Amino acid sequence: MSMLARVRAKLAILEATEELSASILRARALESEGALTASQGRKVLRDVSAAAALLRDAARAVPAAEAPRFHPLLDRLETYQRLLEANQALAERQGGNPGVIPARGEIVRDKEIEVARLLDDVVAEDRSSAMRTLEVAQIAPPVLIGLLVVLFAAIIYSIARALDVPIRRFRGYTGRIAAGDFSLISPARTYRDEFTDLALAVNEMLAELRAQQDRGVKAAKLAAVGTLTSGIAHELNNPLNNIAITTEALMEDLPKLDDEEKWRLLQDIYFETERAGEIVKSLLDFTRKEKPDMVPLDLVEVMQSTLRLAQNEMAINNIVFSSDLPPDLPRVRGAANQLRQVFLNLLLNAIQAMPGGGRLHVSAGSREEGKVCVEVGDEGTGIPSEILPRVFDPFFTTKEPGKGTGLGLSVSLGIVRQHGGDIRVESEPGKGTVVHVCLIRAEEP
Amino acid sequence: MLGNKDVMVLDDEPIVGERLRPALEKDGFQVEVFTDSSAALERLKKKTFAVLVTDVKMRGPSGMDVLRFVRENAPGTKVIVITGYATIETSHEADALGAVHFVPKPFKVKDIVKLVTKSSRRA
Repeated sequence: MSMLARVRAKLAILEATEELSASILRARALESEGALTASQGRKVLRDVSAAAALLRDAARAVPAAEAPRFHPLLDRLETYQRLLEANQALAERQGGNPGVIPARGEIVRDKEIEVARLLDDVVAEDRSSAMRTLEVAQIAPPVLIGLLVVLFAAIIYSIARALDVPIRRFRGYTGRIAAGDFSLISPARTYRDEFTDLALAVNEMLAELRAQQDRGVKAAKLAAVGTLTSGIAHELNNPLNNIAITTEALMEDLPKLDDEEKWRLLQDIYFETERAGEIVKSLLDFTRKEKPDMVPLDLVEVMQSTLRLAQNEMAINNIVFSSDLPPDLPRVRGAANQLRQVFLNLLLNAIQAMPGGGRLHVSAGSREEGKVCVEVGDEGTGIPSEILPRVFDPFFTTKEPGKGTGLGLSVSLGIVRQHGGDIRVESEPGKGTVVHVCLIRAEEP
Repeated sequence: MLGNKDVMVLDDEPIVGERLRPALEKDGFQVEVFTDSSAALERLKKKTFAVLVTDVKMRGPSGMDVLRFVRENAPGTKVIVITGYATIETSHEADALGAVHFVPKPFKVKDIVKLVTKSSRRA
């Protein structure tokens, strides 16, 4: 039975017992003044009957376990009521005051007192039990609320925990996407939920980013080819012009020229054709499209084989060579011939930066973030900071015309970038230059 | 100006000066050859030439810079621009800066001589 219903039942009992007590008191008050008249007696009877009915109703609403408590009271009450009725009936028959035969009156009054006492007991007990119930009712809501708060806290905590793992995973994804890695997210769980949808949406975005990146790379390549083409056209024009005007001179003045002059003019033409050939060759290097085989390499070995190629050049130019090449360098993935080309380019640049001789230092090592780097340093003229950003531009050269096409560094940068690495130049005019080539460590199987 | 037969040839390709000098001297011109544009500018400050034949793309100051200098400081000097990078843009630029002729490479020596002669006769 609900607590509320129980309290209601108790209150009903209390009300009923109050009514009954009140009516008994009224009856006794009347009796104490003297014998009751017939009508007074009828009134008392009605009063008591009504209250008794009320009490019986209330008692019926009481939980079964507590019902026995009321039995003595209800018994006495019934006896009392029958006595009253009998009395009244007698009085009506006698036509006088039901005041009565003292003995009956005594019995009635005794009964009244008994009933009254029992009523008081019931009331007392019920009141205290009602109070107890009320107390419980008062504590119950706060306790319930407290339990609910704890439950909510537990629910929120477990939801937060459940979200934490996927959110951390997604932080990882966005981190690597921001770093430029557009590889797709692979499924991390076997069931599907909102995070799955998020991952799918991100993968769509990645696919689009990659497509855009490809378009961007293509566009840049086209632009580069455009620049390249006009650059090449310009570069080729000079040797071409030199050949043209020298040939013109030869043809115009042939009879007037002595052998030495003829020879000189022909040499000039020959040299200019070679120069033009070099430019075309560099162009071919620059636009080489085949993807070479990338295999694990030891950069120190590659550098050492390149050094052999540059040995003559160093000897001729009084270059003092020193190196710091460790034996167990972690390997990188690359194409050996292309990297040799890069290293040779850097070595020749360094040699040419020191026309009167000087020290050339080569080093290599494992650097931070999983990189393996090779450094080529010279004590040459250095590169002023205004020019430094342009050194990788195609055709940019500080050398005299005919000496170098200016394509070496831009080709080298292209090769290194294709390897997933980068080239960095540090230079101080008057002190020298250091070029860093950094590649990514290969993951050993 | 009339009578002035001084010509400067400016091109970082040495062969250009080597071929133009004898050809121009044959026609009575006094030729000074430069392969360095900074040195040429210094010379232009000191001497007024009738004609300047200059390339565009050089290390240091470019042909256009030289053209600008001449327009401001020696407006009587006629400038002939020779270039391996003959685009519409470059020709417009040269024109705007007052060049009298714009000649793409490869050129013919005798054509340059003709243009120099014509320009030196103009006021």
